[in-house]
Amino acid sequence: MTAPTQSQQRPGAGQFFSAIPGAGILLILMLALFTIANPRFVSQTNLVNVGLQASLLLMIALPMTLIILTEGLDLSAGALLGLSGVIVAEALLAGWSVFAACAMAFAISTAFGALNGVLIAYLTLPAFVVTLGTMGLMQGIALVMTNGDPVGGFTPAIETFYRSQLWIFPMPIVVAVALYAALWLLLYRTRLGNYVIAIGGNKDALRLAGIRANLVHLAVYVLGSAIVGLSAVLLIGRTNSAHPTVGIGMEFEAIAAVVLGGTSFEKGQGWLFGAVLGALAITVLRNGLNILSVDSSLQVVCIGILLILALLIDRARKHYSR
Amino acid sequence: MPAATAAGGHPADHAAAPLLRLIDIDKSFPGVHALRSVSLDIHAGEVHVILGQNGAGKSTLIKTLYGAHAADKGHIEVEGRRVAVARPADASALGIAVIFQEFSLVPYLDIAQNIYLGREAAFARFGLIDSAAMHAAARTILDDLGLDYDTHAYAADLGVAQQQMVEIAKALSQNARVLVMDEPTAAISEREAERLFATIARLTQKNVAIVYISHRMKEVQMLGDRITILRDGAVVTSVLRDEMSQTEMVGAMIGRPSGSQLARTPRAPGDPILFARGISTAKLSDISIEIRAGEVVGLAGLVGSGRTEVVRALFGADPITGGEIALSGSRAPTTLDARVRAGMALLPEDRKREGLALPLDIRDNATVASLWRRFTSGWFSPAAAERDTRGLIAQLGIAAHGTHQTVRTLSGGNQQKVVLAKWLAAGSRLFLLDEPTRGVDVGAKAEIYRLIDQLVDGGAGVVVISSELPELVQLCDRAYVMRDHRIVGHLDDDALTERAILELVVHQ
Ligand SMILES: Nc1ncnc2c1ncn2[C@@H]1O[C@H](COP(=O)(O)OP(=O)(O)O)[C@@H](O)[C@H]1O
Ligand SMILES: [Mg+2]
Repeated sequence: MTAPTQSQQRPGAGQFFSAIPGAGILLILMLALFTIANPRFVSQTNLVNVGLQASLLLMIALPMTLIILTEGLDLSAGALLGLSGVIVAEALLAGWSVFAACAMAFAISTAFGALNGVLIAYLTLPAFVVTLGTMGLMQGIALVMTNGDPVGGFTPAIETFYRSQLWIFPMPIVVAVALYAALWLLLYRTRLGNYVIAIGGNKDALRLAGIRANLVHLAVYVLGSAIVGLSAVLLIGRTNSAHPTVGIGMEFEAIAAVVLGGTSFEKGQGWLFGAVLGALAITVLRNGLNILSVDSSLQVVCIGILLILALLIDRARKHYSR
Repeated sequence: MPAATAAGGHPADHAAAPLLRLIDIDKSFPGVHALRSVSLDIHAGEVHVILGQNGAGKSTLIKTLYGAHAADKGHIEVEGRRVAVARPADASALGIAVIFQEFSLVPYLDIAQNIYLGREAAFARFGLIDSAAMHAAARTILDDLGLDYDTHAYAADLGVAQQQMVEIAKALSQNARVLVMDEPTAAISEREAERLFATIARLTQKNVAIVYISHRMKEVQMLGDRITILRDGAVVTSVLRDEMSQTEMVGAMIGRPSGSQLARTPRAPGDPILFARGISTAKLSDISIEIRAGEVVGLAGLVGSGRTEVVRALFGADPITGGEIALSGSRAPTTLDARVRAGMALLPEDRKREGLALPLDIRDNATVASLWRRFTSGWFSPAAAERDTRGLIAQLGIAAHGTHQTVRTLSGGNQQKVVLAKWLAAGSRLFLLDEPTRGVDVGAKAEIYRLIDQLVDGGAGVVVISSELPELVQLCDRAYVMRDHRIVGHLDDDALTERAILELVVHQ
């Protein structure tokens, strides 16, 4: 007979494997399959490529995890990434310093985050609708600023930063790892982290604990947008140009990564590392299929299948462990 | 009556100025005057029991005291000084801690994080939480309460009783001067309750003031130094324990003489409605039960002995792996919806989760199970539903300010009546009632008993699960006793006594 307190036990070494989420299992499987299908997959250049692609996705998926933990959603993240890139590019073209351009993008992103946050936390409007609205707003502004054309020809300093290395590690990967470390500390070692989880789990409890729950709720959106806004630097560094619509769809990929990693939309259940697993799984799938020259529309199908498979694995194991 | 002060409560020195005073607190919600000029004196080292039926305004009073609701009128004094309590943080700063009736745990924070939610600063080192120190502190608090829970366990993985104990630990950890407990024993076992009472005794000795909300007379007698009775949002009376008898207290609570503890009147049951033979499920083995029209059949046993599983299996909520069920002489349909159409009704143990849609209003809840028979054409008529609901509200005596009141805002007893209304509307003939009076006060209990009588008089069959033996013995014509997921006995007529049930439950 199973003891009622079974779920309280900490996973021991023997239980380690069963603690790997569905995304982790699929990731390992895909790595094996792609390696067998085409050894070029594990070449150093390709693995670095995977890392570069995953790190940009992570820059959105990590803050998205915090937002989803509050039972929220940010559909405007992709549009903000595009807008922020355009702002940096235009500012640089207008002769601003790199620092000033980034500060400008940061300020505007933060303001949009605050707008989302106020509407969602204080006016209790549904996050889905609010961020769908601000997504349109951001995208529109980006298109108006650029007439829909890519913006290029600004200082190569940003591209230089993108291509620089810290010891042997490419800068974008370093940035993503640093962001992960920072958000991990925030989520699991600071008061704010507890409060983020509490907002999704039981906002009333947080209020009754004497915490200004709405302010924390707002802060999550502001922080998320600030991070996304700054990530635009990595985006425009990659091609040394800004495109107003390049971020579109990134929000869905980020949400998919978070959910793939085992974070739930309810009750503040989830974990930050899940986003890393999810982002890697999606990126590896994309990259592997590219190497096998699978058509890009078929890739979208595969990502969908991956997502559903991961959920099924998690569900099956939950069922089995009961 | 063990007049010896079980809680160690020495008759408090009422000459001293009260530690906390609520003065003329008034609070209205849309359509409900929840508190009417309530005044309360709370003394250090004293257990002050607030007694009242569901809906009397007890929880509202506490939330107002804690700054979770803003009072419309009135004010609060601490040690004779007027204080402003605009938000919970203000109350905390004044040394007030509350164990709320609704759970205030965060599911995916662990026990330690929940205990110290909002007070993590005490464990901060360079801006980061020293989680080892926090778990150690939580460990101490839990050990004090005699709880061996792992402080790393998520609240989501705890049972109801465990959650309640963590709530208690959370309030205790605040070292408050005034500790308020809103029905803390509603969900916990005898043994855990004993620990709580011992803790209360220890705290009063340390001069902490306890405000204890309850409607269990036994606890009131055991713990209360001073007792304030609340009815319809107003203070009826405030007395020292020995100044009033239990009967008088119940009388003051319900506002009419309590005609309780009647002898059981024998009923004359009719034809069998349900006959189950040898049913087994994942959790039950070989259950045979018969229920006839016009009788109340009890299911006795300890919590976890399989009583809930039996009614769920009969209702079709859990799949059956063996045995057969006959309804009115013919084989029972297999699916749950067909059983509902055949007249079965389940009043689940957890009414908030399984019995009601809390965010919806009374009308939507009361009509949901009968839409299929009321609106056979498929078209819904709001006017007809409205009429039906008003009828049900009147028939069951639901205290609400209209058919559109959200069920969430009703008191426990009235919520239970809405669940019953749902099945009455569906024309059910066999009622499976799982702990129908749990968390319901004396007055509402009496009304639920009356409703059960009405059902039976109308020819319905009723099954009652109850953990309260006196209730079971008084209410039922006969009872099955369960132990370890089996039926171990059947008692009827004069054989149905509390003692007989206990012997079957406990012995062997
Ligand atoms: N948030 C609320 N909104 C509207 N009405 C409420 C609310 N909270 C409580 N009430 C109403 O106030 C009255 C008192 O409720 P409550 O204080 O919960 O009673 P008790 O705790 O004594 O059972 C009830 O009629 C209840 O329906
Ligand atoms: Mg209450």
